[in-house]
Amino acid sequence: MSHSSLEAVVDPQLVKKWISEIGSDSSAAVPLLQAIQSHYRYLPRKAMDVVVQNTAITASQLFGVATFYAQFRLRPVGRQLIKVCHGTACHVSGADRLNTALRQILDITDAAEDTAANGSYTLENVACIGCCSLAPVMVIGSATFPNLKGADAQRSLKKHAKDSGEMLPKQIQDDDEATVSGGKEA
Amino acid sequence: MGDRMIITIGEGTCGIAAGSKEAADLLSKRFPEAELRSVGCVGMCHQEPMVWITNTDDVTTLYGQVNKKNLPKIVRHIKGEGDAPPNFISTSQQPDTDKGRYLTGQTRIALRNVGTINPTSLEQALARGTYGAIKKILTSGMTPEAVIEEVKISQLRGRGGGGFPTATKWGFARSAPGEVKYLICNGDEGDPGAFMDRSLLEGDPHAVLEGMLIAAYGIGASRGYAYIRAEYPLAVQYFGKAIQDARAAGLLGKNILGTSFAFDIKIKEGAGAFVCGEETALMASIEGHRGMPRIRPPFPAISGLFGKPTIINNVETLANLPWILNHGGAAYAAIGTEKSKGTKVFALAGAVARGGLVEVPMGSTIRHVIEEIGGGSAKGRPLKGVQLGGPSGGCVPEAMFDTLIDYDAINATGAIMGSGGMVVMDSKTCMVDISRYFLEFTQLESCGKCTFCRIGTLRMKEILTRICEGKGTMADIETLEELGPQIKNASLCGLGQTAPNPVLTTLKYFRDEYIAHVVDKKCPGGVCKALIQHTIVQDKCTGCSICARYCPVNCISGELKKPETWVIDSKVCINCGMCAEVCNPEAVFVA
Ligand SMILES: Cc1cc2nc3c(=O)[nH]c(=O)nc-3n(C[C@H](O)[C@H](O)[C@H](O)COP(=O)(O)O)c2cc1C
Ligand code: FES
Repeated sequence: MSHSSLEAVVDPQLVKKWISEIGSDSSAAVPLLQAIQSHYRYLPRKAMDVVVQNTAITASQLFGVATFYAQFRLRPVGRQLIKVCHGTACHVSGADRLNTALRQILDITDAAEDTAANGSYTLENVACIGCCSLAPVMVIGSATFPNLKGADAQRSLKKHAKDSGEMLPKQIQDDDEATVSGGKEA
Repeated sequence: MGDRMIITIGEGTCGIAAGSKEAADLLSKRFPEAELRSVGCVGMCHQEPMVWITNTDDVTTLYGQVNKKNLPKIVRHIKGEGDAPPNFISTSQQPDTDKGRYLTGQTRIALRNVGTINPTSLEQALARGTYGAIKKILTSGMTPEAVIEEVKISQLRGRGGGGFPTATKWGFARSAPGEVKYLICNGDEGDPGAFMDRSLLEGDPHAVLEGMLIAAYGIGASRGYAYIRAEYPLAVQYFGKAIQDARAAGLLGKNILGTSFAFDIKIKEGAGAFVCGEETALMASIEGHRGMPRIRPPFPAISGLFGKPTIINNVETLANLPWILNHGGAAYAAIGTEKSKGTKVFALAGAVARGGLVEVPMGSTIRHVIEEIGGGSAKGRPLKGVQLGGPSGGCVPEAMFDTLIDYDAINATGAIMGSGGMVVMDSKTCMVDISRYFLEFTQLESCGKCTFCRIGTLRMKEILTRICEGKGTMADIETLEELGPQIKNASLCGLGQTAPNPVLTTLKYFRDEYIAHVVDKKCPGGVCKALIQHTIVQDKCTGCSICARYCPVNCISGELKKPETWVIDSKVCINCGMCAEVCNPEAVFVA
C-alpha cells in the first residue's frame, strides 16, 4: 500500500541551506541525510537530487549511504512514529507481543506493511534504546513507555492517539483490571 | 547545615521514561520551599523514578519508584511521621540497607559522578574535581610520554570489547609521523542490551571530555570526534552542551588552560549500523561512506581517519583516565586480577530482580553481580544463565556463575567480557530462540563484505529458525557446529569473527534444549510458537473474558462468569501470548 498523501513537498532552497551549513564534501553525506530526514521524516527523492546536484557527493554514494544505515527511510512514514525496542533485554521480556498488540490495534495485517492504512502511525523496530532495565519499552515521539505488556501498549497507544488527535483504525474495548503504564515526555 | 530542604531527582533516559518529571512535580507541590535538583542516572534503573530528600540537617533519604499512589506515605515519612514506606531505600547515615546494597556493593571509578551531579552543569563537575587531572598535566609540564607511562602502569585495557592495552595503542599513534592526528570517542554502543556508555555520556559528560583531553594530549591529537549512537538523543544533547561549556571555559579549543595545547571536538551522530562500532567502519562512516570495515594493517594508529594517525577509544575507557592520572596508575593496577585491572561497568538487565548499572572490581564473580547486587531472579524462577557481550558474546550457564570477571577467565567459557552487556535468563527463556535472535541481528547487521559473514550468518539463521519451528534435524546441529568456526576464521572484522559465539556457547552448555526442539519437538522455555500450546486451566479461570477481548485472532470463547465454558481454539491460535499476559489469576497454561 502506498501512502501518497504522506509524501512531502520538497523545498530545494531549504536543502541548499542545509548544504551551506553542513558542507558539500564527501563527509557531509550522513549529516545531510540526517538533516533531510529530521525535517521531512523520510528521505524524499527530490531532496536527495538537490544534494547530488549541489555537492561533491555522487548519487551512488548518497544512495549507498541512505540504504546502508538503518536510520534512513526512503518511504514516507505515518504522522506518528512508534519505535518498538527489540534489543536483547526487550526481546526476552516479550517485545514480540508488543508488535502483535500494536499491529492489531492499528489493523496492519500485511506483514510487509508498517504503516496504518489511515496514515496515522508507523511501526518501526529498533535495537535497544538504552532503557534495558525497564524492558520491554516503546517510544512514541519523545515519550518512552516502560515495562509494557501487550495490553499496556494498546492502552498507551490509545491514550496517545486521543491526546494527539489521531484516529485509530480499530478500537479495543477498555478494561480496568490491568494497569496502564503511562508514557513520559522527555 | 542547609537552610532548606533539597529534592534531587534522577533524570537520565530511564528516569524520565519511568516518570521522573511527574515525581518532581508532585513533590515540589508538597514542598514548595524546597530546592529542586536534577542528576543523571545513578544506575538503579529498577528503582526509577528515584528521589533523594536532603533535610536541613544534611541527612539524605532515598526513595524509589515514586508515583502518585505511594506519595502520601513518602511525604509523611519525610515529615518524620509514620514508618518507612515500602519505597524507602536507604539514608546517608545508613546506606547499606537491603535495597541500598545495590550501590554500596559497587566500586565506582568510571561512574564516580554519575547520579550525583547535574550533567548539564560544568560548575558541579568542577566541584567534583573534574578537569583536575588535565590541569595537573598541563600546568606541571608533564610530558605526553609521561602520561602514556602512567596509563601503562595502570594496565588499563580497552573497555569497548577488544580489551587491547590502551597505552600500547597510544604509543603507536604517538610515534606515528604526521602533524594532524585524531582522537575518536567511540560512543556507538552497538550491543543491543547494554547502556553503560549512554549513562556515562548522559550522566557525566565532562568526565568523558576530560578523558578525551588526556588521551589527545598523550597521542598528540588536535582534533577529535565523538561518535554517538542515534538512539541516544539525551546523550547527544548533554555531551553537546558539555563541549560548548568547556569551550567557553577555556578547557577546549586553542590554548587550553592558557597553554599551547589545542584540541577540539565535533559530535557525529551514528545512523543505526552495529558494524559502525568497529573502528575502521566507524571512520568510514565519519568520512561519509557506508560503514564497511577494511583490512588492518594499516592500523588506525598509523593511518586512520582521512589517512591520519587515529586513536579510537571507548567511552568507559576514557572515563577511567582522569581517575588514573589523579590517583596514579599504580592505584588502578592495585585493583583487579593479574591481567585485568581496575573496574568494569556492566548493564544488568533481563530476568534479574534489580537491573541497572553495576561497576565492580575485576576479579569479582559473575554470581556476585547477579545475586548480591542484582538480587537474583526477578520472578523467583530458577536462573539458567547470563548472556555476556551481546551478539559477539555467549551464554554462561548458572553452574559457572562463580567465573571471575577477568578477560581470560570469561574467554575460557566461550563468551567474552564484551563492552558490559549482561542479560540474565531464567527458565522461561529459550536458549535456541536467543541464538536465533542474535544470528538474525548479526545477519541483518553484516555489511556484506565477506562471504562467510554475509552468507554464513544467513545459513545459521535459517537453520536456527527451522529448529525453532520444530523442523530441525540432528544434522542441522552438526552443520551449525561446522559453520561456526568457518565463519569465525574467514571473516575480516570482529562482527563475523564473533557472530557464531552465541550459537556455539549455547550448543556447548544448553545442548539438551536444542535436542528437545529437534527430537521431542518441544520448547522447554515455552517460547517457540510452533512448539507450544496455550490452554485455559478452568480451575483457575474466573470467566472474566479479558483474554477473549485481547486475543488478536478471536480464538477464545466462553460464557461470562462460567469458567468451565472457556476454551482456546488451538487450530486458530497463533500462540502470541497476549491472553496469558492479561490473565490475572494466571489461568492460561503454556506448554
Ligand atoms: C562489530 C563490532 C562492533 C563494535 N562496537 C563497539 C561499540 O559499540 N563501542 C565500542 O567502544 N567499541 C566497539 N567495538 C570495538 C572497536 O572496534 C574498538 O576496538 C574500540 O572502540 C576501541 O576502544 P577501546 O580500546 O577503548 O576499547 C566494536 C567492534 C566490532 C568488531
Ligand atoms: S533492550 Fe530494549 S531498551 Fe535495551
